[in-house]
Amino acid sequence: MLRHLIRKEFLQIRRNAFLPRLIVAFPIVIMCVMPWVMNMEVKNVKVDVVDNDRSTTSQRLVHTIEASRYFIFAGQPASYEAALADIEHGRADIAVVIPRHFGKQAFAGNAPQVLIAANAVNGTKGSIGSAYLSQIVTVHVAPAAASIEQHVATLNLYNKHQNYKLYMIPALLAIVIMLMCGFLPTLNIVGEKEAGTIEQINVTPVTKWAFILAKLIPYWLIALFVITVCLLLAWGLYGITCQGHVALVYLLAMLLALFFSSFGLLISNYSDTMQQAIFVMWFFVVMLMLLSGLFTPTRSMPSWAYSTTYVNPMHYFIDAVRTVFVRGGGFAHIAHQLAALAGIGAAMALWAVKSYRKNH
Amino acid sequence: MNDFSSFVLKEAKHIVRDRRTMLILFGMPLVLMLLFGFAITTDVRNVRTVVVTSQVDHLTRQAVDRLAASTYFTITATVATPADAELLIRSQKADLAVVFSHDFASRHGGVQFIVDGSDPNMAQQWTNYATQTLLNPEVGLVDLKLLYNPQMRSAYNFVPAIMGMLLMLVCAMMTSISIVREKEKGTMEVLLVSPVKPLMIIVAKAVPYLVLAFAILLTILGMARWVLDVPLNGSMAWIVVISVVYIVLALSLGLLISNVARTQLVALLLSAMVLLMPIVMLSGMMFPVESMPRVLQWVSAVIPPRYYIDAMRKLMIMGVGIEQVAREVAILVGMTLALLTLALKSFNNRLE
Amino acid sequence: MTPSIIVDHVSKAFGEVKALDQVSLQVQRGEVFGLIGPDGAGKTTLMRILCTLLKPDEGSATVDGFDTVGQMAQIRRRVGYMPGRFSLYEDLTVRENLEFFARLFGTTVEAGYSTIGPIYSQIERFGNRRAGALSGGMKQKLALSCALVHKPSVLVLDEPTTGVDPVSRKELWDMLATLKPLGITIVASTPYLDEVRRCQRVAFLHQGRIQGTGSPDDILDRFAHIFNPPGIERADEVQQHTADNVIEVQHLVKAFGDFHAVDDISFNVKRGEIFGFLGANGAGKTTAMHMLTGLNQPTSGTGTVAGYDIRTQHELIKRHIGYMSQRFSLYGDLTVAENIRLFAGIYGMSDSDIERKTTALLDQLQFADHRNDLVASLPLGWKQKLAFSVSIFHEPSIVFLDEPTGGVDPATRRQFWQLIYDAAQRGITVFVTTHYMDEAEYCDRISIMVDGKIRAMGTPEQLKQQFHLPDIDHVFTHLARQANRSSD
Repeated sequence: MLRHLIRKEFLQIRRNAFLPRLIVAFPIVIMCVMPWVMNMEVKNVKVDVVDNDRSTTSQRLVHTIEASRYFIFAGQPASYEAALADIEHGRADIAVVIPRHFGKQAFAGNAPQVLIAANAVNGTKGSIGSAYLSQIVTVHVAPAAASIEQHVATLNLYNKHQNYKLYMIPALLAIVIMLMCGFLPTLNIVGEKEAGTIEQINVTPVTKWAFILAKLIPYWLIALFVITVCLLLAWGLYGITCQGHVALVYLLAMLLALFFSSFGLLISNYSDTMQQAIFVMWFFVVMLMLLSGLFTPTRSMPSWAYSTTYVNPMHYFIDAVRTVFVRGGGFAHIAHQLAALAGIGAAMALWAVKSYRKNH
Repeated sequence: MNDFSSFVLKEAKHIVRDRRTMLILFGMPLVLMLLFGFAITTDVRNVRTVVVTSQVDHLTRQAVDRLAASTYFTITATVATPADAELLIRSQKADLAVVFSHDFASRHGGVQFIVDGSDPNMAQQWTNYATQTLLNPEVGLVDLKLLYNPQMRSAYNFVPAIMGMLLMLVCAMMTSISIVREKEKGTMEVLLVSPVKPLMIIVAKAVPYLVLAFAILLTILGMARWVLDVPLNGSMAWIVVISVVYIVLALSLGLLISNVARTQLVALLLSAMVLLMPIVMLSGMMFPVESMPRVLQWVSAVIPPRYYIDAMRKLMIMGVGIEQVAREVAILVGMTLALLTLALKSFNNRLE
Repeated sequence: MTPSIIVDHVSKAFGEVKALDQVSLQVQRGEVFGLIGPDGAGKTTLMRILCTLLKPDEGSATVDGFDTVGQMAQIRRRVGYMPGRFSLYEDLTVRENLEFFARLFGTTVEAGYSTIGPIYSQIERFGNRRAGALSGGMKQKLALSCALVHKPSVLVLDEPTTGVDPVSRKELWDMLATLKPLGITIVASTPYLDEVRRCQRVAFLHQGRIQGTGSPDDILDRFAHIFNPPGIERADEVQQHTADNVIEVQHLVKAFGDFHAVDDISFNVKRGEIFGFLGANGAGKTTAMHMLTGLNQPTSGTGTVAGYDIRTQHELIKRHIGYMSQRFSLYGDLTVAENIRLFAGIYGMSDSDIERKTTALLDQLQFADHRNDLVASLPLGWKQKLAFSVSIFHEPSIVFLDEPTGGVDPATRRQFWQLIYDAAQRGITVFVTTHYMDEAEYCDRISIMVDGKIRAMGTPEQLKQQFHLPDIDHVFTHLARQANRSSD
């Protein structure tokens, strides 16, 4: 029975004008574009330097900044006000103002104040950029103070090359699963409701489990296919491979897929129209995603928001998959997350099957 | 004008009677604002820190106290060897280890940070903050001034972005779906056979969504001001005017989609893929445009929300005058006119 | 007097398919003109051209002297149009719908009341009910009111009575007759022969061409092989139904809140019987059927189907029945063979059995060439024959058919009933609802439901004698007119 239902789902997916293309194009587009886009790295910071001193010392500082690969040298406006206008126009992000008599006083060992004014609307960009600039200035002005900094060494465990893409690819896997296993089955079931074919199925002896499994299995397989494509592309395009055991990534993906497809099913059981289903789904997905640590660190959240991560399967997934993919963790490292994911997924699946009724 | 108002009224009833959708339309902005305002931040906070020190001298103690006192770091353990610290990080119990060398006090000794570098961005910020906190570099070398957002709150950055996304979503997606729904249900045939000008059908459809979008805009602005304490520095009048231009642009996009799509499903998918994804990804809402490769920067140049979000950030947060956003506004107006013409041109008076 | 509508050599193609091919006709002012022909003959396309919704590829058409291409605005002011699906806003109330359509044409309900009065007065008391909650008959009256409220000079009705019960259908045509003094030209399409007879002239459209135009009797006579095929003979008329009951129902009730959709019904159906389950729209037929097929739980009462309790053993019932619903219920994006294999597989048939029976079935239906065609691409009549064949493919003991022949032309209906007879011959009990009273005469026994209760039950002959009426149509009308409620 199940076999026939699954074959029907596959046939319907294949006949659809849109789905096969989506399934093939989606991972390719995601993998080709997203790693470049989903980049919170601070790059190409535009710097204005106002040199009120015009001494050799100050010019040396200007040259150092100009030469830094990290910054884009925007210009040398005449005054702080002009630099501020540049910032307002968006032509510059940070203005460095070298005070008058900078060179003389620096020579005398008197610490002259260099003003660094950063546009902090985007806090990350403002702080990272200005921190790096102050470092340059400090080294330049007071080699003595800088010597302390030379005593500071940083050892990066994992992600040695500071590759942001390595960090983001697990997030992409999560998004792929969410879309393939969350939205597609939801649309599918509500679609059958709207077309009336679900009524025909309801008068047949098909069991609830068979019906629901037949809806889920094809999308799981598709998700597995898509994830495989994503992993291959990550290796082919960016040379990024999974640090841990790849089987664990698949295991995690299956569990997350179980959650999302059950969740989608639940929503479609309670919705009458596609629009409703999509909107409700979207609402929850956005919340789960934002609170999961996919893009932003969960530990920065206030405690009430952090406590929601205990029931957020996306959080467990992203935590675990990063441990495996980036940090090369083994089964023992993610056992806790695996258990939580499995628990939440199973509970959701039970609820979904319970809420699907063949008899009112 | 009377039949026009009855048209608008009818459209408004459709919206109001679909409770669940209404709830989400108004719930979404509230929830997003609260989440972004209070929960989601990229700030450095509560970094789980391990201190590695072999001997406890005065200077080291002082340094550790400075770390513990800051809101950035939470000292979770003190261990004797770097290897122990590494183990803690590897088992996901800590993010950062600060290793004080045994001669730290002697000024020659140094500090080593062992950091979970999976997120290079955060890792770098952690070490930056830790360096600053620990070494407290000679005061007065640099006078750091964080303009517009001295407390570096993420909300300042996100509020304009949420406005850009939600207005687009409500206007474009909802309008397109509501037009396509009439096509699907067959009522469009009857509307077309009536003497009412097709343009009016469209405008009447757009009006309630315009009002809705406006209500959402005011909700967002109100919440930003009074709940999230985000300043509204610039001229309110201009903020509203530019938003209205943007709303019209979104409505035209919705109309264009509805002209192409035949079923609600296609309209939904088109809105989600052609509108939502690029907006979230390429408009600079979450991910800075400057960090993208050149090609993607070109692509993002044709995405309208990018200019709206830019303009709103400047007007609301930076509080600049209208002349500083003239470029963005000009581009938005141009895009609006082009899209509107295109949408009206492609609207079909007949069924074909 | 110039004709109200002139169609001059109009052709229209959609891709490869020629929907209309050199069609010419004229309709006089005030005339009731019928467009008849099988599904896909081009009726809807022609109507849409008249309403300026489509442009003809060739030829021209004028309505009230205005060209449909060049003078769209004038025509749109003069035409009232009712598309095949009820084009109402289901989330607006009756009153709101009517007001909206009145405003659309720049008038008010009050100004148009004289025209729509006879129709609208029947549903006026439900003014605050949402249109989506109306029964089919009432939706149709509302849709007609909406199309008439601006006093059009031409009224175009595309199958206005599909899925509507006989009483409401008669009422609709009575109303159309009252429009005659107003000089409104009416163009209507319909699959019902009694409705065809109420037109003054009809045009028979087939494969995009006009086959003939003339008085209804003339056309029905000339194309009798299509409209009035010879009646079907039941091979084994004197079958003994003394055997056991396959359906037994006692005091069945289904209530939705205060509303009793099915209100205490009791009946038995014997093995091998063809049982016609008649009733007006909203009388509770579909709800009753849903309880029998295990889709709904009864509120009270008991019943067994194929020996299983409908309350507790509904999943067992589902193994032994076939079901074909009102809405076409095969998967349009699967091929003929794939649909058969799916449903046969659900009932646990083996692959080899499925393969063998599929070939046999398709040969019997003369469908073998279409084995790998997508179901969505088949004409309506074929789809319905196929859906029926699929519903009895696993040899159930009972098959439930919910208005299986809605919107189908007479010849196809005749073929459909031949299939039903064949199934009954094999011992399959047939439980069928229909709005065609000629089909009711084909049943062994019928029941007529009114307001949730069974008002009459027996063989067609018995009922005719009991009420002293000449045919079931009259019996039905007689009983259904006593209904007090009209809602689903």
